[in-house]
Amino acid sequence: MLKYVNTGIVFQEIPDEVTLAINISNCPCHCPGCHSHYLWEDQGVPLSPEAIDDFVEKYGSNLTCIAFMGGDNEPRSVDHLAEYIHEEYPQLRVAWYSGRTVISALINKDNFDYIKIGPYIKHLGPLKKPTTNQRLYHRTDEGDFEDITARFWKK
Amino acid sequence: MMEIKNFTITKRDGSQAQFSLDKIMNAIVKAFDSVNEPADLGTISKIISHLDIHDDITVENIQNQVEEALMREGFYHVAKSFILYRQTHSEDRDTLEKMMFLSEYTESVNAATGSKYDANANVEHKNIATLIGELPKSNFIRLNRRLLTDRIKKMYGKELADEYINKLTHHFIYKNDETSLANYCASITMYPWLIGGTTSIGGNSTAPTNLKSFAGGFVNMVFMVSSMLSGACATPEFLMYMNYFIGKEYGLDYWQHPDQQADLSLKKRSIDKVITDYFEQIVYTLNQPTGARNYQAVFWNIAYYDRYYFESIFGDFYFPDGSKPDWDGLSWLQKRFMKWFNKERTKTLLTFPVETMALLTDENGDCKDPEWGEFTAEMYSEGHSFFTYMSNNADSLSSCCRLRNEITDNGFSYTLGAGGVSTGSKSVLTINLNRCIQFAVNHELNYLDYLGSIIDLCHKVQLAYNENLKELQAHGMLPLFDAGYINIGRQYLTIGINGLVEAAEFMGLKITPNDDYLHFVQGILGLIEKYNKKYRTKDVMFNCEMIPAENVGVKHAKWDREDGYVVPRDCYNSYFYVVEDDSLSVIDKFKLHGAPYIEHLTGGSALHMNLEEHLSKQQYLQLLKVAAQEGCNYFTFNIPNTVCNDCGHIDKRYLKECPHCHSKNVDYMTRIIGYLKRVSNFSQARQEEAARRYYAMAD
Repeated sequence: MLKYVNTGIVFQEIPDEVTLAINISNCPCHCPGCHSHYLWEDQGVPLSPEAIDDFVEKYGSNLTCIAFMGGDNEPRSVDHLAEYIHEEYPQLRVAWYSGRTVISALINKDNFDYIKIGPYIKHLGPLKKPTTNQRLYHRTDEGDFEDITARFWKK
Repeated sequence: MMEIKNFTITKRDGSQAQFSLDKIMNAIVKAFDSVNEPADLGTISKIISHLDIHDDITVENIQNQVEEALMREGFYHVAKSFILYRQTHSEDRDTLEKMMFLSEYTESVNAATGSKYDANANVEHKNIATLIGELPKSNFIRLNRRLLTDRIKKMYGKELADEYINKLTHHFIYKNDETSLANYCASITMYPWLIGGTTSIGGNSTAPTNLKSFAGGFVNMVFMVSSMLSGACATPEFLMYMNYFIGKEYGLDYWQHPDQQADLSLKKRSIDKVITDYFEQIVYTLNQPTGARNYQAVFWNIAYYDRYYFESIFGDFYFPDGSKPDWDGLSWLQKRFMKWFNKERTKTLLTFPVETMALLTDENGDCKDPEWGEFTAEMYSEGHSFFTYMSNNADSLSSCCRLRNEITDNGFSYTLGAGGVSTGSKSVLTINLNRCIQFAVNHELNYLDYLGSIIDLCHKVQLAYNENLKELQAHGMLPLFDAGYINIGRQYLTIGINGLVEAAEFMGLKITPNDDYLHFVQGILGLIEKYNKKYRTKDVMFNCEMIPAENVGVKHAKWDREDGYVVPRDCYNSYFYVVEDDSLSVIDKFKLHGAPYIEHLTGGSALHMNLEEHLSKQQYLQLLKVAAQEGCNYFTFNIPNTVCNDCGHIDKRYLKECPHCHSKNVDYMTRIIGYLKRVSNFSQARQEEAARRYYAMAD
């Protein structure tokens, strides 16, 4: 079962969206120089569909997007929750920040509107640096995934 | 003759000294000598025998006793001389105190830190002009208290007057702007000026007749009006009138061809260039330090409207030539001004005008005028800093960067002459909620009952203030009212609050969107509103505002701590949340300034949403929607701008290093309270508060 430690309303992670970021624990990536060491441990509270319902109840139409930050140990669970959100709350977009180098084969990409891949590699920098190895993809109306990483590099 | 033993006495500065009979004898002998009255040892001993000296007696007390003893023995001339001698010394001490202040002020870091009475970041420099403004402040405070207590005595008796001074000196309440004699702030109508120039308020200019005389005359008019107010002057018709005069010059459709050449000079200026040159003239002139206001710039505010807000307010407006304001031209001009002003602010630190965007929303929380909703989001995303007022009816105007004033229930109308936009606050009297509530709880009183007595006192004091103001008006001292720039009946008496969050924390409440905190807030604000309604008559209106407390927030925290109250931080919050709390999300903050919390806050409180980075237009659009849905009607986004102290580069972003010369010697422009200023201009304590602020971060 996925667990999360905390959440936040964020603006920079997903361009143009007002996003509820859910920080998922038990991260297997263990990037050297990781900013969120506390997410390495298996801790927090279960991230169930009911938990999603509570978030939507609390923030209602104030949000435009929900982002799963991590969860690479259980891609299938992330996929199920993404599908759940799209079915129950069609007005919300779904994003996934994965630390893997490729998009997991265990998910159905159509359940996501944004997917970020790539571990954090210190000398290449985060998404904001043009030298970054990380990539953010946005699903277009046609269902293709478009690389929008360059959005982070603008002044 | 009393027994001489080792007494200590308390000197004027509070220090202790050995009692000396010689000194008293000397003073008495001198008094006799000064009126050529012979004084033998017997006479002097007799006088001294009347004195009742005890340990720790004050010098003042001894001197009072000497006065009485001289009179009791029949030496009236000597007594008179002694009294005059004391008076001269007391005046000398006042002067000495002023000289001390003078030297402390000149050595302080900046003008706000040096100011003893009402620190204010709107004073950028300290110099001889600001010093001249500071020196008489203590006299103004004394005079204002005297004027007010005399009136209270007449209206309610001595007991209430004493109670006022008692609560004031023990910091249960705070009288704002006590260092000025003028009424506080006003949103004015410029209609009297449009008709008759400034003659009715003592000026010598006639009515503006063209764009040039409008621009020049406007500046003079704002200077004159501001010199008769202690706070801000809002001109909500500024761009509407300017649009009228541009139309007269270049045709109503000027905005459809702004690039057209407009003058025959070698510069071949376009219409757009002519217009922006006037913007430049007006804005730069009004941002100058002003002689009549102790070297402060005038606090100048303007408003923008969407189409529907504009129609609600100015639907009945007619210019003197019988024409109606042209919305299409005004809409273009408003946008032009905002774009110009935003760009100009990357060249110079311009504080004024403080701008408020007034938007009407529909029942879904969407902007009724999508064009202006989008433009608002666009301007925020381009880094422009301004306030937004959102409502589902055109019910309010702000008279300064904090106070909104309800206007509907007064049946404002231009058809009855002028005055649709004239409103404001005559005077603000603030309640220190943290102290009041702790005092009540410590004395096992019901805090709402106790607060009720304080609120009642405040209303009576404000009514007394109002009578004094009416008397000034009756003697022709308030031409702004007589000439119709301000309507006294549409001006509020304002009850301010400070220390709300701190009081709630004392009561053990969590400062998050939760029912207990909401109940607490509503209980207090509802009580104030109850009294506001109770004391309302057809001539007097009250409102309630959470004051920005630029310096009061710091003072209250200091005074309360000194007196042993629970004080969780060095500066009381001017918001419904704890400004340094990083666990609250942006949405939580909108909720905490949402309808249930601000329902009874009739005079408003502007949410300053502190963000570390600028958002995109789409994100701001969504946040406008969040604000509308939560019922947060008055807010601004605050992203500190970076100013390089070395090369002067100004950047809209919050940076640690100058992107131009890479210097790390940078300062920031921020809205600590209402207006945008360099952080280094704020007083020491406020700068520390700014540093503790949590700017919501992305990662």
